Order: sequence, then structure tokens, then C-alpha cells
Amino acid sequence: MQRMFMRRVGLALLLMLAATALTFWLVTAAPGNVAALIAERAAGAGADGEMIAKIADDLGLNDPLPVRYARWLGDALTGDFGVSLRTGKPMAEEFAERIPMTLALLAGGGVLALVLSLAMGIAGAASNGGIVDRVLHGLALVGASTPNFFFAAMLVIVFSVWLGMVPTFGVAGLTSWLLPWITIALFPASVLARVVRVNMQDTMSRPFATTGFAKGLTRSAVLLREALPNIAIPYMTTFGAQFTLMIIGAIVVERVFGLNGVGAFFIEAIRFRDFIGMQAILTLFVVFFVSINLLVDLLAMLADPRLRRPRKA
Amino acid sequence: MSRHSQNGPIYEVEGLVIDLYTPTVSVRAVDGAGFYVAPGETLAIVGESGSGKTVMTLGPLGLLPEGVAVDLRGTARADGKDILSMSPTDLSRLRGGFFGVIFQDPMSALNPMLKIGPQLAEQARRFAGLSAEEAKKEAVSLLARSGIPDPEDRYDRYPHELSGGMLQRAMIALALAARPRVLIADEPTTALDATVQAQILALIRQIQKEDGIAVILITHDIGAVSVLADRVAVLYAGQVAEEGSAIDVLTAPVHPYTRGLLASVPDFRSNNATGTKEIPGIPPNQAQLEPGCRFADRCELVQPQCRTHRPPLVKVGAGPVPHRVACPVVMAAEGIVTHD
Repeated sequence: MQRMFMRRVGLALLLMLAATALTFWLVTAAPGNVAALIAERAAGAGADGEMIAKIADDLGLNDPLPVRYARWLGDALTGDFGVSLRTGKPMAEEFAERIPMTLALLAGGGVLALVLSLAMGIAGAASNGGIVDRVLHGLALVGASTPNFFFAAMLVIVFSVWLGMVPTFGVAGLTSWLLPWITIALFPASVLARVVRVNMQDTMSRPFATTGFAKGLTRSAVLLREALPNIAIPYMTTFGAQFTLMIIGAIVVERVFGLNGVGAFFIEAIRFRDFIGMQAILTLFVVFFVSINLLVDLLAMLADPRLRRPRKA
Repeated sequence: MSRHSQNGPIYEVEGLVIDLYTPTVSVRAVDGAGFYVAPGETLAIVGESGSGKTVMTLGPLGLLPEGVAVDLRGTARADGKDILSMSPTDLSRLRGGFFGVIFQDPMSALNPMLKIGPQLAEQARRFAGLSAEEAKKEAVSLLARSGIPDPEDRYDRYPHELSGGMLQRAMIALALAARPRVLIADEPTTALDATVQAQILALIRQIQKEDGIAVILITHDIGAVSVLADRVAVLYAGQVAEEGSAIDVLTAPVHPYTRGLLASVPDFRSNNATGTKEIPGIPPNQAQLEPGCRFADRCELVQPQCRTHRPPLVKVGAGPVPHRVACPVVMAAEGIVTHD
């Protein structure tokens, strides 16, 4: 168990290193010249070739890629992600302002996806082929196939424009978070509801479920007490994957609802060829992906007695 | 409270018909079969795989796996009460408290996510009315009684931490925790090593003697039948071919299928298989049943009437335990008369 734990952590660190190196290479390989951009910002139209060359030299842009990556990594490890070419503010500052916004979006969406998917999946399993089961199956299919930008626009039209219940843009108070949370939770909730339902069905047909009935439990007790613990592991794994994918959703959702999070910043960074900003945000995404997956793997290990307490030889 | 005397049946099933449906096929798994078992008695239900042994015994209790649609007719009574008309909640309580069930493969029949001991304690608390503390003590003593060494330690174990034989003992302890009056053992030794099989059978016999409960042993192991059973019911393709005391059925079988079944059991004393004789052919397809005797296609004594008329189960011999056989042909040939 302990060895497995250390191996997973080590693997996660390696993965982060490889992924940041890859994004670093991709970002620098993208068209556009950082030195030219900086010169343009500083001197406007007066920027000439000499000035650009000097800036490139000062920033070490002429060094080989591995050297530049090593230098970037050294800075990043001390919390220095450079200065955004677009806003002129250090990325650490941008992070401090924007990460809470994005975290609030993801956390709310994650909780909503968790609650909705468990409720829908369990209700479907309880109904077992009945009308509730079929309606929820249909809803999950629609939810999983609706693009989030379209869904967001529909929510805004209905709840903001027609009903005027929530603002169309920005956040002010808890109600204004509802639409972004619902939008970002739609896809993961739908997929996870199916995961719960299908795994419940499989588990209910296993011999130990029959033992549960033989113990005198009612069907709902067998569902909740015998079957549900057994879907914990597949559910947690899928939830982890879906939760990390929500950061992709955040890029769209933050734009649509005018939230000043890292997703919205990322879009702007791409548009303004803010290479420093792009690399910083991508690094953040990598860390998020890898650490959530690591966390989920470790939690799943703890949830399974066969992994937590291996049989003694 | 029961209308039945001490020796009256405590679980009885009559004229049971069970159809199993999947979206594509329907199978008549049980076709007008029945059985009964009295307190202190062990009934063995024997037959080959697919003969409907498990479906007949557990079906009325609603203990068939999910995912198959079941259509069930006939009567089933537990302690004189009609099971088939019970509400789901009443039936749940009956399953938990009145019946104890041991399943075939303890590795898959015990929930991998749940510790063994607390499940026993919960049964004792819910059905035997014990306090939480008493229930835990009871659970530990049940584990000890089932022959599990170091029961305090095993109480907190998960199924994967025990061997197959120990798990089947835990399964038995679980089945007994609610102090049931009928213990149903569905092929309790099939998944176990040969050496462990004998121990498990001995344990079931010991419990049966000590508690005086009714035991239903579902098996295709004739050896287990001869060790445990007071009475035997032989099932073929969802119908009872023969039933009677274990001595009558095992030593003086009448029905051609019972004779074939017993002749096909290898005798461990002879070290070759020449003494055994297999029954030719395979059981009928229960999705498309023909009228008449289910065994007709495989029977050496088959007559034209066998294919058109279902043979009734009639009493033969005058012993204290009714011996019934569903084969007029063999009775006529051997001059056996009905004692109905």
C-alpha cells in the first residue's frame, strides 16, 4: 500500500514534468515573436529590429529550448510564472485574483454533478425499468449530448432575459452562480448518472445482492447498503476524470457568463499571443489534472478494502 | 400459533409453476412441482444443473437474481402462512428471520465491501431482538460455533481476508444469525475443496441436530445426500420424478431417471469407472416443452403413452414416509401398486 502510494506520487510528478515540457515546446513553437511583442508594447510603432534583438537577447530567447525550459522551471518552482504580456501584471498576481473564481465554479459544479448523478442514478436503479428510470435515461442522454455553450445561452435567455431571475453577466451573490454551475455540471452529471445506473444494475445482479435480500433487506436497503458501496470505485474514478474535464468547460462557461477566472484569461492570452500567460495557465491545468487524478486514485484505493487491506500471506 | 403439529411441514410448496423470461426467451423452469419439509428434518432436492432445484426452492421467497422476469403460480406456505400473497415488506422479514440461506460460492455471495462480523450482529439485532452489545457477542459466538478459529479477529475481517472454506463457515454463521427455522443450503459445497466439503456438511448436520431446524439441501452430490438427508426429492426438468425417504430413494429407486442418476455416480471403492453408467441424451429444452413425460426421450422404458400423458406422482409402498413416483410404466412392468 505504502509502496503503491509512493509510486503513484512519483509517477504524478514525472507526468507533470513531461506535460509542462511539452506545453512549453508547443507554446514556443506557436507563430509569433515574444521579443517583438514586448518591443511593440514598450515603444509602439517605434520598435525596430535592433531593439527586438536586444530584448530577445536580454530574455535569453536565443538560448536552446532545454536551457530555456530549465530556466522557466526553476522560476516556476519558486512561484514566478513571469509577467503577462497582455496585462503587464505578474502571473502570480493574476493567479491570486482568478483562481478563486475558477475554483468556486469547479467546486460548485462538482458538488452539483455529484449530487445530481447519485440522485439520478440511484432513483433510476430504484425504479428499475419503470417510468422514472426511462425518463432519467432520456434526460442523461440529452444532457450528455447538449453542447455547453448552447445550453448556457438557453439558460441565459430563459432565466435572465425572460424571467429576470439572475443577472446575465458577472457574479453578484449566490444566485448568480446558479447558471454557471448548472451549465458546467450538465455533462459530467449526465455521464456520471449513467455510470451510477449501469454499475448499480450490474451490482444488483451479483450473488451478494441476492444474499442481501436473503438477509431480509428491502430492495432499497440492498441498493443503498449492499450495492452502493460496490460502485464507489468505478464512480470515483469516473468522477475524477469528469471533474478534470470540467476545467475545459470552464474556458467556455467563464466567457459566456463573464466570470474573471483562469479559463477566460486563457482565451484572452491566446488571442493576444500572451505566451507567458498561456504557459502559466497550461501549467496550472497540468497540475490540476494530475493532482486530481492522483487524489482520486488514492481515495479509490482507500475505498476498496481489497487494496487497503491486502490479504495476509 | 401454528396450526401445524410439531411434525407438520414448516415450509411447503405445491403445484408450483415458474416461468422465467428474458426479452427473447421464456423458460418453464418449474412445472407443477412441490415439496415440503418438517422441523428437525433434512430434505435433499437433487437433480442436474438446470432442473429447477434452486428456482423451485428460492423462487417463492423472491430470491432469484435480478434481471430475469419471473412469473410464479401455485402455493407456498411458511409456517402455514401464504408466502405468495405477502407484501414485499412482510416477505423481506420472512426471508431474513424465518429462512436462512447458504449460497453456492461464498466468495461471490458475500459482499466484498462489508466486514463479516457486523453483518452477523445486525441480523441478530434485527431478528433475534438482541441489543447491539449482545448482538456482537452473539456474532462472535456464531463464528466460533461455525468452526472459525479466532472469531474475535475474524469479526472485523473482509471476505477477501478469509479462505473459501472459512468464508462458507461465515456464510453459515450469517444464515444462522437471525435464528431461522428453515435453513436452505444451495449447493453449499460445490465451490469448495473436497476436504473442506466434508467439514461443511458435518457442520450443517451438527447445527441441524442441535437447533432442530428444518434443512433443505439443494445438491447434485449424491454423497452429500446420503450423509445428510432424511428425505429426498428428485427433480427432472422442473418436475418431481420421485420423492421419499432417503433410504427408499437411494436404495430402492423406482423412477428410471432416479435409477439412472444413481447408476451414474462413481463408486469410490472401485478404482475404475466401469461400474458407472451415464444417462444417454440431454435434458429437454425447457423453452419449448412437449406434453407427456419430460424424461421420455432419454428413457429406456419409454412407451407411446409417455409422450402424450404427463405421469402423475403416485404413492408406492406403505412405509411411514410417503414414497412417490411419477412413472406408471415402470410400476406396471414391475408390479408395483399404488398406495394412495
